[in-house]
Order: sequence, then C-alpha cells, then structure tokens
Amino acid sequence: MTWDSFIYFAVSALVLWSAGAFLAFKTDRKLLPVLLTVMGLAVFFAFIAGLWHSLERPPLRTMGETRLWYSFFLPAAGLITYLRWRYKWILSFSAVSSAVFIVINIAKPDIHNKTLMPALQSPWFTPHVIIYIFSYAVLGAATIVAVYYLIREKKITDKPRLMHMSDNLVYIGTALITLGMLMGAIWAKAAWGHYWSWDPKETWAAATWLGYLLYIHYRIRRTSSNKISMYTLIFAFLLLQIC
Amino acid sequence: MDQQKKIIWQTPWEYREGFSVALGIALTALLLQLLLGNVDPSQFRFPVNVIFGAVFLAGVALAFFIFRRKAFIRWLSSVYSTVPAIAVLLGVIIVMGLTPQLPDGTMEVAFPENVFTKMGWYRMTTSWVFLFLCFYLLMLIEFALLKRITTKQSWRNIGFYLNHTGLLLALLGGILGSADIQRLTMTVKEGNVEWRALDRTGGLRELPVAIELDTFTIEEYPPKLVVIDTHSGKMLPEKQPENYVYGGVGEKTALNGNHIEILEYLPQAGMVQDSNFVNFVPYFTEGATTALKIRVTNPNLKAPVEGWVSNGSFIFPYQVLYVDSVSGIAMPVNEVKKYTSKVTVFTEDGRAEKADIEVNKPLSIENWVIYQLSYDETKGKYSDISVFELVRDPWLKIVYAGIILLMAGALFLFIAGPKKRVYV
Ligand code: HEM
Repeated sequence: MTWDSFIYFAVSALVLWSAGAFLAFKTDRKLLPVLLTVMGLAVFFAFIAGLWHSLERPPLRTMGETRLWYSFFLPAAGLITYLRWRYKWILSFSAVSSAVFIVINIAKPDIHNKTLMPALQSPWFTPHVIIYIFSYAVLGAATIVAVYYLIREKKITDKPRLMHMSDNLVYIGTALITLGMLMGAIWAKAAWGHYWSWDPKETWAAATWLGYLLYIHYRIRRTSSNKISMYTLIFAFLLLQIC
Repeated sequence: MDQQKKIIWQTPWEYREGFSVALGIALTALLLQLLLGNVDPSQFRFPVNVIFGAVFLAGVALAFFIFRRKAFIRWLSSVYSTVPAIAVLLGVIIVMGLTPQLPDGTMEVAFPENVFTKMGWYRMTTSWVFLFLCFYLLMLIEFALLKRITTKQSWRNIGFYLNHTGLLLALLGGILGSADIQRLTMTVKEGNVEWRALDRTGGLRELPVAIELDTFTIEEYPPKLVVIDTHSGKMLPEKQPENYVYGGVGEKTALNGNHIEILEYLPQAGMVQDSNFVNFVPYFTEGATTALKIRVTNPNLKAPVEGWVSNGSFIFPYQVLYVDSVSGIAMPVNEVKKYTSKVTVFTEDGRAEKADIEVNKPLSIENWVIYQLSYDETKGKYSDISVFELVRDPWLKIVYAGIILLMAGALFLFIAGPKKRVYV
C-alpha cells in the first residue's frame, strides 16, 4: 500500500462518515449511523494498516502520517461520544474535522523520510503517540464546546446539559493524556534511563495535565462558575498546543 | 435568601484563602531561596529521605486525626485549597517551560548574573518554591485521601483512591528518590573488560559488575539523497527539505524539481581519484563508504548529468554531484537503525551473563540497569568502543507502583465518566 491509493480510501471513508452523520439527524435509531461510521473507520484503517505493513514501521514519523491518525481518530471519538450521549451533531463535527486533515494530506502529502531512530523503536512509542493524538481530538471537541458556550451564553437554554457534555469530554480526554503521559514516562525509562527529566516537552505535558486537573477539581463544587470553567478549558488546550 | 459577602479569612475558607495560602507558601519559599540558594539533593540521600518522607506522611496523618473536626482541616481536604495549589504550581511550571533549564552539576559560574538565577529558576526542580509547592500538594492529597477514607464509601471512590494514591506515591517517590539516583557512564573497548565508570562530576567509581564488550555493531538505514544549495550547503527546499530513501537500482524519483534515476549502488565502496576523475569501486575493508551512481535530468538542463554521490567515511571525503551552478545532489550520513553491544557481564559472586544491549533494550543486573548510550561517532559504524550508562534508582518500584495506580485510575475515569450533578 502506498500514498498513491490514499485518495480512494479517504474518499470512500468520507462518504460513509457523511452518510452516517446525515442519518444521525434523520433517524432516532442509532444503528445505521453507527454502522456507516464503523464501516468508514474500517476502510480508513485498512489504508493505515496497509501503509504500516509496507513501511515496516508504524506510520507515525512524518506530519502526513500523523495527520492520518487524526483523520482516523476524530470520527472514532465522535462515534464513542455519539454512542454514549447521543449528541446528533457530533458525527457531522467529527466528519468535517477529519475531512480537513484528509484534504491537507491530499493537497500536500508529506511522505518523505522513512527512517525511525533507535530511541523511537519501543513498544511504548506507538500507543503513547496514538493515545495523545486521540486525546487531542477529544479535548479539541471539549474546547469547541467551551468556545460555543462563551460566545452564545445568553442564548443557551439547557446549560447543565452543555456543562455535562464538557465534563464528559474532559474526563475522557484527561484519562487519555494521563495514560499517554505515563506510557511516555515508562518508555523514557527504557530509552534514556529516567522516567521524567523535565525536558521542555515533558514540562509542557505536566502543565497541560495540571490545567485539566484544575478544571476537574473546580467543577466539583456545584456553585462553580460555568464561565471560569470554560476559560480554564481553553487555557488548558492552549497549553496542550505547546507540548 | 440574601447572600452576605464573606470577609477574607472568615470561615468557611474558600478560594480566596486558598490562593492566599498557596501564594504565601510560594513567597516563603522564595525567601528561603534568596537566603540559601537551591536545595542540594545530596543532603537528602538515604536514609535522610526515608526519615523525612516517613515523618512527613505521619505528621500529616497525625494532624488529620487530632484536628479532624476543625474547619481548617476540612478546608485542607477540599477543592478550595486544592484548586489554588494546583494553579500556583501550574504557574511555576509554565515559568519552567519558558526558561531554559540547566542540568544538575552545572557550575554556578555558568549561570547568567540576573534575578532568575537568584530565584533558582534555571534549576526549577531543586528550587525551594517548586519543592514547597509539591509538598503542599502532597499534603493536600493525603488530607483528601484521609477524609475520603473516614467518610461513607461508594463504588466511585475506587477511582478517587487510585488517582490520588497513585499521584502521592509517584510524586513523593520521584522527589525523595531523586537524591539516591546514580547515573554513571562507562566506555568499553571491543575485547576489553571494564568495571570503572565516571559519575556526573567526572569522578571514577568502581562497580560491583564488570562488562566485557565482545562485539559492537551498527545497522544503518539505506542511504538517502537530498538536493542541496551548493553555496550554503542547505538542503532544499529550505522550509521542508525533501529526501529520497534508496529502494533499489533502476528506481526513479523526483526531488525538488529534478528527476533522478538510480544507476548503481555500492553499499561498501571506496573512492579512486585522479586529477580530474572520481570513481567508486567495491571496497570491503574498514572505512568503506556508501555510494550511488545516479542520472539527473531537469527541464533547465541541456543534457542529463551523471555521476557518483557518496557520504564519505572517516577515510574518504564525501562526494556531491553538481547539477548546475547552484545546486547539487548529496547523500547525508546514513541514519542509524540500531546499535548493539554484545557483552558478557561479570558479577562479584563470580557469575557471568551474556547479553545484547541496545537502545530501548537495557540490561538489569544487581540493582543496576545498563543502557546503550553511544559509541565513537567519528568512526560511525566502524566504532570499536561502546559507551554505556549505568543507572541505579532504588525508589523506582515506588514510583512505578504510583504510575500503575494512576493508569488504573485513568481507565476508571475513562469508563465511569464524571458524576451526574444535580443542579439547583
Ligand atoms: C494534585 C493533587 C491533587 C489534589 C490535592 C486533589 C484533591 C482532591 C480533592 C480535595 C477532591 C475533592 C474531594 C471531595 O470534595 O469530595 C478531589 C476529587 C477528585 N480528584 Fe483530585 N486531587 C489531586 C490530583 C488528582 C488527580 C491526579 C486526578 C486524576 C487524574 C484527580 C481526580 C479527581 C477526581 C476525578 C475527583 C472527583 C472524584 C469523586 O468525587 O469521586 N485528582 N481531588
């Protein structure tokens, strides 16, 4: 499998995801939207797996390869959210954001350089990076909820529902960055002899983690201000962009 | 009901008091920093760190059980103290992300003469502010845990216990244990046995294990080709250099506007040269380089350019194929895929163990973990020495126990999600 066939897989997946997103608005049953989204994910993953096989290493080295995972995990995160809380719009949102990364990859495939330096050849490397990418997708969605809330505060009728949605996304996202960060620590121990050296990447990862812990703990009090919570989320997401 | 505005410090304490206390602790620590300079970790070696940790944990527990019903203990185990404490530590860590951090053992004279140095900001992790805030948080975690233990239990508490015990163990173990970590480097020549290693300050140490380097081998990736600007030597296009990884004779590729065809590949090559002619021939001795013969065409060229490209070695110079007056095709140094030291390790009680040590595949023996660190880079794949790092961290088990609890706690958060809150 090479990048030459990417467009066929990507377009098929996008068609399936869009159909699923569309049907989510049309029917109250979950079955069809879920089925279509899963099929789209399967098609897209077939490409990733094929590329993985022909590169003889996980496709995680170049920006183009990383974007592949974004395109894959956004609909996956959307699907989980949809299954659990039935937000009808989430599948459209994830399909559109996935399409953005797909379009970038078609327009500007960054496919050069096939090597992986020794320190990266660890069983922890792949899950560490994939989980972080997944958490980006989820926490990105939480950030959009926050921005939406702050812009339209006066017009929102069901604030508790929106806040609960944001809590849900943050709990999942924080669980993921916790796992990603700790896998990173275990890998660092095997590769460099210490689990945490406070290099800039680790420092910003710690800052991001604390940012989300702030949100989680602040939200425990019922009297907490929704606004402050949402600003905290945006701030934490900015920290995530640095690391 | 009319809500009355509460005056600061009036109970029950809330966030304002939380920020005051956290900032007060940070300021106190800053004073100590100005008076005493950075904390010297070597003062906290075993058994000082064990005693310190035990006294700390027991002291907090004692305070909890004695003053349990007092308002300030309730406050100390609530989010009113926690949120500001996390926020202030976050502020410190942001500063740390923005200032360069100099490694331990950097000489004091190497620090710039400015206010940041006085505040200890170039070595944040041994600064009083950082350590005080960490211990303040550790105290809050312990209070929160004790509070939870002594109140009504529910299945949701599992997540709480996992996360908070996990962080308590990992953070406390990490901070106290850092004083006991030993990291030494050892250089061994092929065929030799070595049992002495250098510590961070260059002091020689004898170890309870000896390492014999049987062989050292490097496996490289196939060679790459790039287009360079022949004046600056920079790879093109400058913003995001493109490269081609060799995949077989006869392959064709496009690189920055040039069409390149691979004509010949010599993985083990030697250069032969007279006054105006360079050729590469098979050469199977130490110092051999890699060479590719290629044909380059591009729309601006009247005729294709043909010739050898090589990345050289410690005996041969590199060879660039000039395409026109401004650009050429070059071969960067082959990237290393893996390097392996085949060793025999001898212990004091007379055991001998054979092992392969690679990056990411360290060897654990007698409380030491032996890492592949580097080799003689001037000789590249012909290096006959291997450099190891030997690490001993007696607190690792505690930190790992914390990490495992935190991971389990994260899984719990993932599955259970947040509590459904009832809104008024
Ligand atoms: C940094 C140090 C930490 C402190 C001082 C702290 C303290 C606290 C406190 C005081 C509560 C409120 C208990 C209550 O009011 O019932 C709490 C709840 C909570 N904390 Fe932490 N915590 C810390 C770290 C963490 C970490 C690392 C996580 C997870 C990754 C976490 C996740 C939670 C969750 C999910 C709750 C709500 C749990 C529930 O109500 O069952 N905390 N924490």
